[in-house]
Amino acid sequence: MKPELSWLDDPETFRVNQLPVHSDHHFYQSETDLNAGQSQFAQSLDGTWQFKFAKQPKERPIGFYAPDYDRSDFDTITVPEHIEIAGYGRLKYINTTYPWEGKDYRRPAYALGKDQKGEGMFSNGEDNYVGAYLKTFELNPKLRNKRVVVQFDGVEQAMYLWLNGQFVGYAEDSFSQSEFDLTPYLKDGENLIAVEVFKRSTAAFIEDQDMFRFSGIFRSVRLVGEPAIHVQDMRIIGNLADDYTTGDFSLKLKLNRQSNAKGSVQIGITDDDGQSLFDTQKPVNDDIEINHQTFPNVHLWQHTDPYLYQLKITVLDEQGQVVEIVPYQFGFRRVEMKNKIMLLNGKRIILNGVNRHEWNAKSGRVISVADMKQDLKTFEENNINAVRTCHYPDRDEWYYLCDQAGVYMMAENNLESHGTWQKMGAVEPSYNVPGSLPEWREAVVDRARSNFERFKNHTAILFWSLGNEAYAGDDIAAMNAFYKDHDNTRLVHYEGVCRNRVYEDRISDMESMMYDPPKEIAKYLDNDPKKPFVDCEFMHDMGNSLGGMSSYNDLIDKYPMYQGGFIWDFIDQAIEVKDEVTGQPVLRYGGDFDDRHSDYEFSGDGLLFADRTPKPALQEVKYYYGKHIN
Amino acid sequence: MANTSTKQVQIIYGDATLGLRGNGFGYIFSYERGGMESLVQHGKEWLYRVPKPTFWRATTDNDRGNGFSVKSATWLGTDMFLKCTDIAVAVNDKPIALPISPENNKYSDHEFADHVTITFTYETLTTPATTVTAAYTVNGKGDIQVNVDYHGKAGLPELPALGLRFVMPTPAVCFRYDGLSGETYPDRMAGGVKGTYTVDGMPVTKYLVPQECGMHMQSKQVTVTRNRTQDNTDHSSHVFNLTFAQNDRPFAFSCLPYTAEEIENATHIEELPAPRRTVLTVFGAVRGVGGIDSWGADVEQQYHISAEQDHSFSFVIQGA
Repeated sequence: MKPELSWLDDPETFRVNQLPVHSDHHFYQSETDLNAGQSQFAQSLDGTWQFKFAKQPKERPIGFYAPDYDRSDFDTITVPEHIEIAGYGRLKYINTTYPWEGKDYRRPAYALGKDQKGEGMFSNGEDNYVGAYLKTFELNPKLRNKRVVVQFDGVEQAMYLWLNGQFVGYAEDSFSQSEFDLTPYLKDGENLIAVEVFKRSTAAFIEDQDMFRFSGIFRSVRLVGEPAIHVQDMRIIGNLADDYTTGDFSLKLKLNRQSNAKGSVQIGITDDDGQSLFDTQKPVNDDIEINHQTFPNVHLWQHTDPYLYQLKITVLDEQGQVVEIVPYQFGFRRVEMKNKIMLLNGKRIILNGVNRHEWNAKSGRVISVADMKQDLKTFEENNINAVRTCHYPDRDEWYYLCDQAGVYMMAENNLESHGTWQKMGAVEPSYNVPGSLPEWREAVVDRARSNFERFKNHTAILFWSLGNEAYAGDDIAAMNAFYKDHDNTRLVHYEGVCRNRVYEDRISDMESMMYDPPKEIAKYLDNDPKKPFVDCEFMHDMGNSLGGMSSYNDLIDKYPMYQGGFIWDFIDQAIEVKDEVTGQPVLRYGGDFDDRHSDYEFSGDGLLFADRTPKPALQEVKYYYGKHIN
Repeated sequence: MANTSTKQVQIIYGDATLGLRGNGFGYIFSYERGGMESLVQHGKEWLYRVPKPTFWRATTDNDRGNGFSVKSATWLGTDMFLKCTDIAVAVNDKPIALPISPENNKYSDHEFADHVTITFTYETLTTPATTVTAAYTVNGKGDIQVNVDYHGKAGLPELPALGLRFVMPTPAVCFRYDGLSGETYPDRMAGGVKGTYTVDGMPVTKYLVPQECGMHMQSKQVTVTRNRTQDNTDHSSHVFNLTFAQNDRPFAFSCLPYTAEEIENATHIEELPAPRRTVLTVFGAVRGVGGIDSWGADVEQQYHISAEQDHSFSFVIQGA
């Protein structure tokens, strides 16, 4: 297949030759590797890559992926790193309007008519800078003679991939993992992987989050060798029976097998003390299922006691040799709606939550596991029990850590398009996407699918969220339907339907509003509401702005259908630079990089400053959130 | 009883000032500057310029978002350019004619009283104008009871703040207060834990855009500690203290190196000048900071400060 630059302009082309998304489980060759947490099946491609920056597509090094291309003028860049933090692209922060505001006139393809295809809008975009990335590698011995895939955990905003000069595939959706099969293109000895990253594509219209606008390979890249029999995908359901004490466990495995390889699969569950509760062995098959296995008197998972059981799947070949081991921790818990109240394990859920962007003042949205752990420590110290992954999927590790910490997750897929319907504060959806446009539907449903398929096994996820501020139409209703079709163990959240109530019976299990005054919320709750109420964003903590929390707290005590919310937001977005005058490290915000049009200090709404030190208001949050620990 | 000068305050009827002295203290009130010009305890000067009522707070992000600073901008001018329109003196609660020359020729170099009150009246530059008085009552121990009375006037926009601002000549080393933990406001103090806290330096909360910060509600007492003066003969670096204590009710205060105007003008914290002074403001009324959002929602009604109503507050600066 020949790659086309026009894919950048086409909302219907967002994945080419990508492998289907699967669960985020890890797999190991041996107990030793499992215990060390190091899979020899994985080979990191993080580190230094060759790099060439081009200001716009027509200046990019065409054909740079060919092994014989003269790359003597290439620089280097670190992976993962934003192209802007590396100093090639300009730092820019903007909230609602699109980052080309005042510089380019764009309308989303098809939004104003079937004939408005937007050809050349991004492929010829003068602001669409391009990063050409290259790296050579030799396969680690353990990956040889296996099916080898490459995983990109995050590339913003569109990428083309080549191996050894041959085109492999194309991906959008900056915050979901993109995986490609490299097996047909691999050689013995040195291989050359090449990635061309474009700052903009049609994805720009649906990735308009209120954040610094970055580009580049900003999460890890790795090769993974899959053994001859491999658990490709798994679905774990740890539910509860109606008595709330009996565990109801189901498991579905999808296996990939080389030449119909045979063997067996051991499935074991142990408790926290290592006591075996369940052990079974099944012959290898393409699909293996355990349905509604019951466990009496299970230890429930909840915020105050996030008890996890250990599932271990051991794949054996015909000779009984271990082929791979897949561990996964899961909890037993039940999420449901009863009498219009959302319950966890039969009890009313009260969300003492925060919205959390991935942020590090030095590296932007490239964050470390240490950052995540520190954030969870802050959660624990301040009675924060819930997080909304605003407004995109986070790094995998965060979901595992939330399972362990008992943090209730509202797992949001990557979607925000407020620039297409919110103009200077007014609702004006004349060119809204995705809206009800068929040409945009698959792109957004794919984002829901990626989010669901990857994270479906995380106990901490109580809610799926369809994105943020994207208005409402048939396409978002289709996302809602996707989650509903695939998961009856969680609830679905979306706020934007409140802007277009025609869809309220098709979108969102809860009435979610942002920044609704307490009096308005009370009015809603006093008038026989259809759905329980959640503040997906409240207590906007810009600068020194947090106060009046008692009015929200009172609602919790007064209305069972008021179920709390998520403070906007957890951490300021600001970038540490060296002050031009003093040489001291200082924090800079929107507009500080000559970036215009800008929303300036609107990037700083956190309970923490951008360097992760707490704002004074945090003690107030701790106090009120401590009143309803659950 | 014998007139024991150790329990009485000595009055110096100057031509431009009223001096009040006692064991370990010496205070000067300036008729020219319209306020207390010098507050010396144990040889250390505590005032840089005369304290004046303050009406402004550095705009918070929510103030900007909901237009509060625009609606109440008149108070910024008054905060900077307040004028003193009247001065009155009372000795042992009995008003006397303002003791400037030649009226003061009737006094001697040996004048004592149980307590002396000097009251400064300030007129705001608002339309309509109103008045605020600051009355200082000094006793023989050097205790200064300060009473501030703001006179409400119909038609005035809401007050961003109401306090009395003391600018001290050198930066504080630390301050110690008996009140609530952390930075608190009327609508954000439930999480504050009562206790005695020492704050090193005068930290300016590092909000991305410098803004109102450092408020301590419900305080019973604050002691400011410095270790330098501007006196060229004073080479000591030993610390010395001044204590502000509640009179009838707890008070709010902030202790920062900058005035609200200095903070107002910075778009980044690094633009603020090197700390050279201590700005200790005792507040009689504090507006809340909270808001539902940062683009229009107002602070909850009970946390507004009406400028149409009277406001009074009182505290004591402890004597030597």
